[in-house]
Amino acid sequence: MSILEINKLKKSFDGIEVLKDISLKVKEGEVVSIIGPSGSGKSTLLRCATLLEKMDEGSLLYCDEVAVKDVGGATIYAPKNELRHIKEYFGLVFQNYNLFPHLSVMKNICDAPISVQKRDKEEVKQEAERLLEKMGLEDKKEAYPFQLSGGQRQRVAIARALAMNPKMLFFDEPTSALDPELTQEVLKVLKDLAKDKMTMVIVTHEIEFARNISDRVIFMDGGVIIEEGTPSEVIENPSNERTKSFLTKMKV
Amino acid sequence: MKKNRTRKNRLLAIFIIGLICVTTFAAIGCGKSTEDTKDKKVIESVDDIEGTRIGVQSGTTGAIYAEDYEGDEAGTIVERYNKGADAIQSLKLNKIDCVIIDELPALEYVARNPELAILDEEFTLEEYAMCIDKSSTALKLQINDALKELRDNGIYDQIVDYYINNEDGSVEKYVPKDVSRDNGTLIVATNAAFPPYEFYSEGKVTGLDMDLSQAVCDILGMKLQIEDMEFDSIIVAVTSGKADVGVAGMTVTEDRLKNIDFTDSYTTSKQVIVVNTGSTQDIETLSFVEKFKQNFIDDNRYEYLLTGFRNTIIITIGAVIIGIILGFLIAMVRTTHDRIGGLTIINAICRVYVTIIRGTPAMVQLLIMFYIILAAVNNKIVVAVIAFGLNSAAYVSEIVRSGIMAVDPGQMEAGQSLGMTYNMTMIRVILPQAVKNILPALCNELISLIKETSISGYIGLIDLTKGADIIRSNTYEATMPLLAIALIYLAIVMILTGFVHKLEKRLRNNER
Repeated sequence: MSILEINKLKKSFDGIEVLKDISLKVKEGEVVSIIGPSGSGKSTLLRCATLLEKMDEGSLLYCDEVAVKDVGGATIYAPKNELRHIKEYFGLVFQNYNLFPHLSVMKNICDAPISVQKRDKEEVKQEAERLLEKMGLEDKKEAYPFQLSGGQRQRVAIARALAMNPKMLFFDEPTSALDPELTQEVLKVLKDLAKDKMTMVIVTHEIEFARNISDRVIFMDGGVIIEEGTPSEVIENPSNERTKSFLTKMKV
Repeated sequence: MKKNRTRKNRLLAIFIIGLICVTTFAAIGCGKSTEDTKDKKVIESVDDIEGTRIGVQSGTTGAIYAEDYEGDEAGTIVERYNKGADAIQSLKLNKIDCVIIDELPALEYVARNPELAILDEEFTLEEYAMCIDKSSTALKLQINDALKELRDNGIYDQIVDYYINNEDGSVEKYVPKDVSRDNGTLIVATNAAFPPYEFYSEGKVTGLDMDLSQAVCDILGMKLQIEDMEFDSIIVAVTSGKADVGVAGMTVTEDRLKNIDFTDSYTTSKQVIVVNTGSTQDIETLSFVEKFKQNFIDDNRYEYLLTGFRNTIIITIGAVIIGIILGFLIAMVRTTHDRIGGLTIINAICRVYVTIIRGTPAMVQLLIMFYIILAAVNNKIVVAVIAFGLNSAAYVSEIVRSGIMAVDPGQMEAGQSLGMTYNMTMIRVILPQAVKNILPALCNELISLIKETSISGYIGLIDLTKGADIIRSNTYEATMPLLAIALIYLAIVMILTGFVHKLEKRLRNNER
């Protein structure tokens, strides 16, 4: 069963087509990396998939449940209550973390599970503590975001997304805002998640990391998927000229 | 602990500096007034008032007569004051050359201020009557009958004698009769700064007019309710139904008859000219302690300030609550409309509302609220709370809106990616951050609101400023009551600022 299924997605901003006919399926336990130059539409794809941006055309399904239906050149979104349910299938980790600055680390993680999913407070707290331990942040429970380093903040953001028990996670350039020495601590967390068979879609500039972690690598440029395959196919032996020149620029 | 104490000391220091500033101002003001008498015109008869500066009470017949001279070749200037007492005060300070005012109040003023004198030559003779709405014919006839009865049975003479010919104290004050009052309430509008007709004594409006009104009510079997307001508001109050009759030493004039009806005249009066003779030999200068006693202790005058303080606080708190709730709602509507669309009509209403409120003076809004929109509401505090609350809401909404817009849009996306609805994210994530950022601006708005309430006196509400006004019109002393309320306002604002500062600090705990 596919966790995520995108068919013929199109999206324009002010008449400029940013995504042209993108289709993508992600199976359970699969780790997919999306690479490509700036402005290739990677982030917009992620924002459409996570319902932050409205799709112009195409359909979107999570676990075979329809979130967006294509009706010949337009889209129909599922009713609010169904969308709310569908949103629980995925979590999103932002480039600049977007932690809630007025809440402690613990509250950042626990707020949504308690208030949105109406789960038991104690149970959520225990899970949050477990997640923080996994992230190596068990001593930062009561800290506020401003007291943490970028890498620590991003790990809290990942814990926050995981606390919702999603079926899959999206990462939008999770290490782009980090100093190089902090990048590794976040990538390690992602590797651990991959080991645990977490389904993930990662937009990244870390080509080396993408090669190591991914089951599948997608190269995007100009709003279309240029090349798609295993890391060895796309990164080590790219067949397309644009892929080759991009990878050369990234010095792989 | 030590840090705390230095902070308190600093606050105290600021307060003392403020006190010194205000006192210095007052001292300079006093000094100047005695020097500036070079171009003073000597007025000995009616003929001399051409080309002088004439003080009158706005809306009185004195003002109407003075207008005949205004703008003439001699350059007569007419200065209109809200109260007769204010005009007299200006005369004492030589800011004007004479005051045209009704005889009896003039006598009172002169008795209390030896440097003032009344010209022998009377200006004009006129008749006082109660004003009443043109549609209230039945009530008018009843009052006329009652007035006649009072003249016949001698009560009228007793009331007049008590206030005017009572040097030896032999005449008793009129006491309300123990009659059944099933015929409703008679609401009397007056301007209680016009002794002996109407003035404040021991916290109540009293005087010749008021006793007469009470006697009329006793005959008609009605309850008496007195509403104190500006003199030129009385006719509006009667025509708009805020009051049944106006009893305020009001002269029957052609102009007034166009808008309103009058009962039979109940007394005659003269307009006289009061001048400042500058003879200071009789003036006994009061010491600070005596002045303090006269302004605050005698006649329990401090109670006006207490009542005023209480009302100012009640109005401010009520208005803040309305302002904050409504302001946040408006801000939510407007940002929701801007961010995700919808709510077109409500948004348009909110925009128009904010534009109107911010585009008109608070005093105009208060008067419109009192005389037009809430004309049926007689509780003035309620009217003031609503008027100031609605006013504040417009400003608060813009402050909140700017606060919401300043929060990183990523916060909204983060909330939504965690399954929160728009409203939930707004309440749990955006607003707490916005509030922290706008707290200084909100505090500012609160401070201006407190001071803005000082216009409540225009609807006859005894707030702090009006309380000082009443003392002023009783003691003819401006410095003490005005300085007292200036310091009280200053203290309120400083206490509040300190409180908000603490709150701000607490909220900033989670931030660098």
